[in-house]
Amino acid sequence: MNHFLKDELEKYIKLCIKNDREGQLKIYQLFSPVLYGICLKYMKNEDDAKDVFQEAFVIAFQKISQYKFEGSFEGWLKRIFINKLIETLNKKKKESFFLDVFDPDTDFIEEEELEAIPIEQEKLLEYIRDLPDQYRTVFNLYVFEKMKHKEIAELLKISEGTSKSNLNRAKHILQKRILSIKNFKIA
Amino acid sequence: MKKQKIEDIFSSMEDFSSVPPPELWSQIEEKLDKPKKKKRVVLWWSAAACLLLGLLLPSILHFTDLSENTNINNGDLENSRNSIVLDKNTNDNSNDRKLDRTKNADKKIDSLNGNDTNNQFNNESGIQVQETSVAETNSKNKSSKKDSKSNVTVPANAPNQSIAYQNFGSSENKSILKSSKKSVLENHIKSSNKGISEERIAFGKQSKFNSTAKKQLSNSIFEEQLSPKNNKNIAFNNQGYSTNNSFANSNAYNSKNSVSDKNETKRTDKAVIIKDDLKITNSLSKTDSMQLAELQNLEKGILTPEKEKEEKEKKDNLINKKERWAVAVFAGVASSENTKNEKTLGNVNDSKQSNSYGVKTKYSINKKWAVGSGLKISELGQSVANVSYVSVKNNAFFAPAASYADSSPVASSDPSRQDYLLISNSTKEAMKNENVQTGKLDQNLRYVEMPLEVSYSVFNKNKASINLNTGGFVGKLISNNVALDGHSIGENMNANDYVYGSTLSSTVQYRVYKKTNVFVEPAVNYYINPLNSQSFNQFQWGLNFGLNVSF
Repeated sequence: MNHFLKDELEKYIKLCIKNDREGQLKIYQLFSPVLYGICLKYMKNEDDAKDVFQEAFVIAFQKISQYKFEGSFEGWLKRIFINKLIETLNKKKKESFFLDVFDPDTDFIEEEELEAIPIEQEKLLEYIRDLPDQYRTVFNLYVFEKMKHKEIAELLKISEGTSKSNLNRAKHILQKRILSIKNFKIA
Repeated sequence: MKKQKIEDIFSSMEDFSSVPPPELWSQIEEKLDKPKKKKRVVLWWSAAACLLLGLLLPSILHFTDLSENTNINNGDLENSRNSIVLDKNTNDNSNDRKLDRTKNADKKIDSLNGNDTNNQFNNESGIQVQETSVAETNSKNKSSKKDSKSNVTVPANAPNQSIAYQNFGSSENKSILKSSKKSVLENHIKSSNKGISEERIAFGKQSKFNSTAKKQLSNSIFEEQLSPKNNKNIAFNNQGYSTNNSFANSNAYNSKNSVSDKNETKRTDKAVIIKDDLKITNSLSKTDSMQLAELQNLEKGILTPEKEKEEKEKKDNLINKKERWAVAVFAGVASSENTKNEKTLGNVNDSKQSNSYGVKTKYSINKKWAVGSGLKISELGQSVANVSYVSVKNNAFFAPAASYADSSPVASSDPSRQDYLLISNSTKEAMKNENVQTGKLDQNLRYVEMPLEVSYSVFNKNKASINLNTGGFVGKLISNNVALDGHSIGENMNANDYVYGSTLSSTVQYRVYKKTNVFVEPAVNYYINPLNSQSFNQFQWGLNFGLNVSF
């Protein structure tokens, strides 16, 4: 069965290489939810997420011939999407994007452990998207993409220190938001 | 109550997925139908410019050569007292004609020899006369030579034959030619060889050169930089997998993944649990959905650690391949220096500033090393101040055969043209001639150069980088000019057509936009052989500014 499915996927990819619309639709149907989810996490508003999602999918289909059928196809797609997301965020902010400097007031705050309460994904997504662009990007890359600060720094062309600082500030903001919800619930 | 960190709270968002609005697919379809954008317009323009330059320059040089060959090549008659230095280029084919010319030139020679003042001056003073024969490059003059039916007109089948027309006096008046050793001139002019040396400025030639177009590569930076991360993403554990979650639920957000389920997820563990939250759209049948879900699992779980390693290695290689090529355009200033206190006509050669510009390409072998080549227009020059000269045109003393001026086959049709005799300081003192003037002699040799450089990256951080470059170059002479007090008087006959040299430079580069960099490049060049025998400034300092696009 697995071989059958793998063959199916390869068949769709090969159809995409031939610019076959049916194959492209299959790939779209298969991977669009995950990829759209990524776009929503990285972009502040849904319109921007839609724009990047479209553009990244077009790029993916245009570059699909570069996929060598080695490794995860989903991973390959994700790379394209994250590249496009970061490119878009960089364009929006240009030079001011990652110019944060070390701030001892927030950067030295120790991460506090919070009481485990279930929070809906919609809420969590909202908190993430409310973060400033630079904090959100670093948070996404570190927490969800499991990248190290060194890798993030290279990708975003920032220093490791800035990456750490942005992550700390993001966590600090999120912590506050979650605490406020809990307090609200308790009250 | 159980405590958890922020990351743990948000871990449920790791595999967050959401079905995109249906209209997005139609918009993507529209974009896919459009022709691809020309993303590499700049690169193509650069390549086209290089190609055009490569095609145009040889063509121009080729046609210049042709026209030059049909005209008279300038030669010289060198005056060592009364002797005439015979030209090495003399060939048998030209001898007969030269003899004819010589017969007719006898009168000129006679008058030259009969010029007692001249001979006495040379015989008695015993000083060294440094003479610079200045050749006329005016095309009108060349055509007048060609059209002339005079004996000194060079036959078309002897394009390389040089005809001297500049002597101790006026070139028009004493146009004497190269001759074989049996020249009848020997009958009229006897050499006494009293240590008279000469220094000439000679004609140069032009010819073709080649240029090459460069292939281009492109790689996405981000794609490659992300590779380490993706290696992590492909380790797998279906611990958190739930078929209930993976399909059949097309809600935008899947909240079934409880936060507490993920408490044990650890960052340090590279085998990240990847759950399949894929939502399949309603357009798929249930069977299809199941198959696709399994397919995704297969995709995620298919890689073994070994394969992961291989993939990482491949991606590392890809990193090395990123932005391997770079094309740069640059322009700058250069200063030719006299480092050995060389002298011309008894005066020290001064430095001379000029401009240089060009294009170059670089290919990165690895992170540190790169090789580069390109095309560069550069100028080597020198100034000699206080050069003594005599304007021959208006000087009867140096124009004994002035009566022949009108019939001279090499007479310039340019009324502004003057002929000059450049003399050394010692000669000037000996002559004590009122007509001796002083002026500034500027000599410029312009080359099109093709360097071959090796580059080493000594610093590369964020947007800035510093490279050290060294290598050699070969240059083709494309322009040769000698100017006296700002007026062009001809060419330097000793200039070599090809010049070789070495170069050392440092490139300080800063990325201003995406793959576009600006750079400044201080450099020092050494030209091995700009002239055959004369001294010439061989060191050149340069400072180039440029724009660099990597791909």
